[in-house]
Amino acid sequence: MGPAPHKGKTAQAGARTSRASRALRSWRRPHAARATITQHEKGGHDREGHGGCRRDPQWASAGPQPLSFTEEVKFELRALKDWDLKMSVPDYMQCAEDHQTLLVVVQPVGIVSEENFFRIYKRICSVSQISVRDSQRVLYIRYRHHYPPENNEWGDFQTHRKVVGLITITDCFSAKDWPQTFEKFHVQKEIYGSTLYDSRLFVFGLQGEIVEQPRTDVAFYPNYEDCQTVEKRIEDFIESLFIVLESKRLDRATDKSGDKIPLLCVPFEKKDFVGLDTDSRHYKKRCQGRMRKHVGDLCLQAGMLQDSLVHYHMSVELLRSVNDFLWLGAALEGLCSASVIYHYPGGTGGKSGARRFQGSTLPAEAANRHRPGAQEVLIDPGALTTNGINPDTSTEIGRAKNCLSPEDIIDKYKEAISYYSKYKNAGVIELEACIKAVRVLAIQKRSMEASEFLQNAVYINLRQLSEEEKIQRYSILSELYELIGFHRKSAFFKRVAAMQCVAPSIAEPGWRACYKLLLETLPGYSLSLDPKDFSRGTHRGWAAVQMRLLHELVYASRRMGNPALSVRHLSFLLQTMLDFLSDQEKKDVTQSLENYTSKCPGTMEPIALPGGLTLPPVPFTKLPIVRHVKLLNLPASLRPHKMKSLLGQNVSTKSPFIYSPIIAHNRGEERNKKIDFQWVQGDVCEVQLMVYNPMPFELRVENMGLLTSGVEFESLPAALSLPAESGLYPVTLVGVPQTTGTITVNGYHTTVFGVFSDCLLDNLPGIKTSGSTVEVIPALPRLQISTSLPRSAHSLQPSSGDEISTNVSVQLYNGESQQLIIKLENIGMEPLEKLEVTSKVLTTKEKLYGDFLSWKLEETLAQFPLQPGKVATFTINIKVKLDFSCQENLLQDLSDDGISVSGFPLSSPFRQVVRPRVEGKPVNPPESNKAGDYSHVKTLEAILNFKYSGGPGHTEGYYRNLSLGLHVEVEPSVFFTRVSTLPATSTRQCHLLLDVFNSTEHELTVSTRSSEALILHAGECQRMAIQVDKFNFESFPESPGEKGQFANPKQLEEERREARGLEIHSKLGICWRIPSLKRSGEASVEGLLNQLVLEHLQLAPLQWDVLVDGQPCDREAAAACQVGDPVRLEVRLTNRSPRSVGPFALTVVPFQDHQNGVHNYDLHDTISFVGSSTFYLDAVQPSGQSACLGALLFLYTGDFFLHIRFHEDSTSKELPPSWFCLPSVHVRALEAQA
Amino acid sequence: MAVCIAVIAKENYPLYIRSTPTENKLKFHYMVHTSLDVVDEKISAMGKALVDQRELYLGLLYPTEDYKMFRKLHNSYTDVMCNPFYNPGDRIQSRAFDNMVTSMMIQVC
Repeated sequence: MGPAPHKGKTAQAGARTSRASRALRSWRRPHAARATITQHEKGGHDREGHGGCRRDPQWASAGPQPLSFTEEVKFELRALKDWDLKMSVPDYMQCAEDHQTLLVVVQPVGIVSEENFFRIYKRICSVSQISVRDSQRVLYIRYRHHYPPENNEWGDFQTHRKVVGLITITDCFSAKDWPQTFEKFHVQKEIYGSTLYDSRLFVFGLQGEIVEQPRTDVAFYPNYEDCQTVEKRIEDFIESLFIVLESKRLDRATDKSGDKIPLLCVPFEKKDFVGLDTDSRHYKKRCQGRMRKHVGDLCLQAGMLQDSLVHYHMSVELLRSVNDFLWLGAALEGLCSASVIYHYPGGTGGKSGARRFQGSTLPAEAANRHRPGAQEVLIDPGALTTNGINPDTSTEIGRAKNCLSPEDIIDKYKEAISYYSKYKNAGVIELEACIKAVRVLAIQKRSMEASEFLQNAVYINLRQLSEEEKIQRYSILSELYELIGFHRKSAFFKRVAAMQCVAPSIAEPGWRACYKLLLETLPGYSLSLDPKDFSRGTHRGWAAVQMRLLHELVYASRRMGNPALSVRHLSFLLQTMLDFLSDQEKKDVTQSLENYTSKCPGTMEPIALPGGLTLPPVPFTKLPIVRHVKLLNLPASLRPHKMKSLLGQNVSTKSPFIYSPIIAHNRGEERNKKIDFQWVQGDVCEVQLMVYNPMPFELRVENMGLLTSGVEFESLPAALSLPAESGLYPVTLVGVPQTTGTITVNGYHTTVFGVFSDCLLDNLPGIKTSGSTVEVIPALPRLQISTSLPRSAHSLQPSSGDEISTNVSVQLYNGESQQLIIKLENIGMEPLEKLEVTSKVLTTKEKLYGDFLSWKLEETLAQFPLQPGKVATFTINIKVKLDFSCQENLLQDLSDDGISVSGFPLSSPFRQVVRPRVEGKPVNPPESNKAGDYSHVKTLEAILNFKYSGGPGHTEGYYRNLSLGLHVEVEPSVFFTRVSTLPATSTRQCHLLLDVFNSTEHELTVSTRSSEALILHAGECQRMAIQVDKFNFESFPESPGEKGQFANPKQLEEERREARGLEIHSKLGICWRIPSLKRSGEASVEGLLNQLVLEHLQLAPLQWDVLVDGQPCDREAAAACQVGDPVRLEVRLTNRSPRSVGPFALTVVPFQDHQNGVHNYDLHDTISFVGSSTFYLDAVQPSGQSACLGALLFLYTGDFFLHIRFHEDSTSKELPPSWFCLPSVHVRALEAQA
Repeated sequence: MAVCIAVIAKENYPLYIRSTPTENKLKFHYMVHTSLDVVDEKISAMGKALVDQRELYLGLLYPTEDYKMFRKLHNSYTDVMCNPFYNPGDRIQSRAFDNMVTSMMIQVC
């Protein structure tokens, strides 16, 4: 500790204010040793080691004149010796106003119960200020029930530290004990004896003659209830104190200047002045200055604020001149205190702020008054004498200007503190001064400067503090930081205090206190224990620090013996800080969480703390993270459907309109997130969650189930194990609704690491949900289908919209039929009452003839209602009848030549061949390829829908739909490669020629209704001719007519064609049979019939009948007649067409067929007409008949043919030529019979 | 020279924090966290005085001569903010920024 460095000396040349501020800046000592203090994790900060360097050289520079080197060293050395003489117990609650108070100690003597003592103590404390009689002065009293006597030793230094009054409270029940009790009182008095002005003894319980003795220092009360006069007694006591104080004040103040003024000393100085020259001017000044300061203290205590200010000012001047730094500091502080009292009548200390002002001498607004010029020290020069203290301070009274301005108060405090800091033994004084200054600054709202003072206070090193004192110290620092709005620092110190409570050196760690203090730090770290505050977006906070605090809370609560609490905190840590935990930390935290929960599982109950705080439950919404929640519809076969009512289900009775867009887009429903499918009571319902495990290890989630409301729901919890840092992982949670109504899925519950969590969807951030409300409808039966056919691997095209639960497949030859037997089993719990079966053939390119599927439901329905577990059967006929026509590329030419023709010889000259195909097609490739082509398998698909219902669901109008997919592979059986007609000999008949091709690999027989079976080998093609009667299509009932609304003529035509095809088919009855496979089927020509063929198969609307001799002549068979006899020839016309036809002219042309292609028409001499050869027919009305007659005379025998020709005229041209198909007449003229 | 450099978000949480003695990071966390009180105080004091305050440098928490340090840091921070892929409020993970901080820490050591 050398002399002040040069830098310090230059500072003193500057103005006082600037010097002070520079001095303050020097507080910021960037020594590493200092910086470490705040960073301790546990336990106290032992700064004793740095104690030696506490005294910063720069602080010494504040003095106006440097102390001589030797003197300073001497001071220093002594100070180091006198460890025991320094004041050791700081009063952290001190504030500037305390300087004006009188210290009274209240203590129990003997055995007094704490309760009783504090009852009285409280009442005593209520008398904290007293207006002194006949003056406007107010006395303030500070009561303590404990005060270390060594602090009392400093009473001369600052009189408010002096115990001036003692009140003892004692129990005494018998007069016998009285002397002993009184003796104790005296002993007690001895402790503070040197400083006491007066004392009182309050005796409770004593009665009798002793009580009667009037004593001023003893008051007797029968008991603790009956002591109304306590306050009065105290007031009297204080007045007596005042008298002593006032006399002392006057005594000291009026010391004659010639008298030797005693030197007032602080304890550690006592020995310093031994041997000093007491006559030196320097010494005298020192004595004077100290005494002035003392008088100032007394004045302040006596309520003479202005007087005290003057005395302090004078003292400052005196002491400054002799470099008596400790006392100079005290004088400055006194000045500050007095000014503070003046400026802030409301008080600066938080708790003592209730300082009441009676008859205030100070205007309240004085607190706000800031006068820049007030810092001038306006002391009358005449009042300062070098020889003594001028007793007359009246000149200064009323000069409020002596008072320091608020800014100056701080400057002076800084100065005072810088002086105190020179003395190691004055650490408590310095600390308390700092605290007092901070309180003042807090009121001035100058947080930055306050923090500087506090920072300094932190570094003040007292002796080895006890743990309790450390806690107190850190707590008070925390409070002061809180006071100036430094919440983080406050939290820091509170946390340090908490750690101090459980320092390893403490025998019985106060975990409860530690926990309580830690809880108080939460706001400072902006940490709330409600996980909801963290669910909004990403967590933004000081994670590292917060995590540390949470760990400490966990540990403290565990040591407190409250495992539920530690589980809650640990859960919170894991839930909210997950993003900030390293992989190792995640493992550690979960490990310890599992350890805790094995003893005390985590619950969803809020935990109430004794302090009134409630810890909300912490659901693990991040373990696992749920990204997506989707309520699943029932599988298609179990989905309920609403039966369409007459108006349709969409129409509610609420609206008079059949359709309204407002109903269709009901917004209310959207808001409720209602999903447009239904669940069914009693059926397992599913909710799919997409979950994600953020942990670096496998996460075991147990007991995961749904949280629902609205409907009684039996949740079936699942346990899952998610791999480490899995991607999105689908999890299906299931449950069974037990009642009906509207069910809302609110969330899910889990058990992870032994912690039960109820995670509500509303609280989950970033979750995607497509609605969570679903209607549950009453129970329905369940139908299971099994069929006689094998199941199919094919699945039908989903485009059909229906989902098919079962697919069956069957292979059939074209034209074949098969029975499908379906077993219907009710596997539900409700009776199956209703069943409807519909089928739907999926659109196919193939033209399908006839009924593909047919059934009779009646037999099955007879078994209904089907009770649960019962089976019913149902039969369906499958009949495949595809086009039998040959594809174009098949069997191009079956040439007319060289084929075997069954049936009749083709001898008719009117043979017409219909060629449906274009001639000149390229010739087919070789046979090998053909085989593949014929076996082209076609596929037919159909869906059978079983709509069924029953039980309560049925009454509500719901049904279920079960779909059976039917997959039929149709192999070709036979093909008709070509169709043609040949007119038969009769005009009412004709021949249908079919080229039949066997495309199977088996021998096959084809038969018709009328003809023999035709055997076809595999791949063989043969022509078959079938004689058929012509069809009178017009006579069909006009069944399509009733569908008159389909005015489309094309469609009508189509239907008519189909009807014709069916007619033809049923008449032909073509069947095939594969003997080797024992399979058979039909073959249909429907697809082959084109317009031309049809026309030929059709009866002409004009029916011509030719009668020879009254015999209808239509056959090949010749009509016989005799030569020479006239033969009657009659031509009849029956008009079946809807129009009138005619008139017609007919000419009969006879000819002879020479059977060699030559027709001889030159028969004039062999046949003669009786009458004209030309006949006339009148117009014939629809369904009318007309006839014309003629006669022929054959002159020679022979076979004659008559060809009846129409005259070409306009009327006949309008009609199709096929209408004029007259039978040819074959007449055999025979020799006349003799 | 610099032992710890931290960038704090407006909402008082660290965007970036880095310290040279890596063994006791938490200590620096505490230190920076508590010093925010002073920053708060300075900002609130400034808010009253000058609304349109162009000077971003608030001053020193502790005496150090290196004013350039702040400018350098702030320029680099501005660059980070200009990155279109950076969401304001996220932790700073820019390598350039990191390198700059490292250079500042090594510089005087």
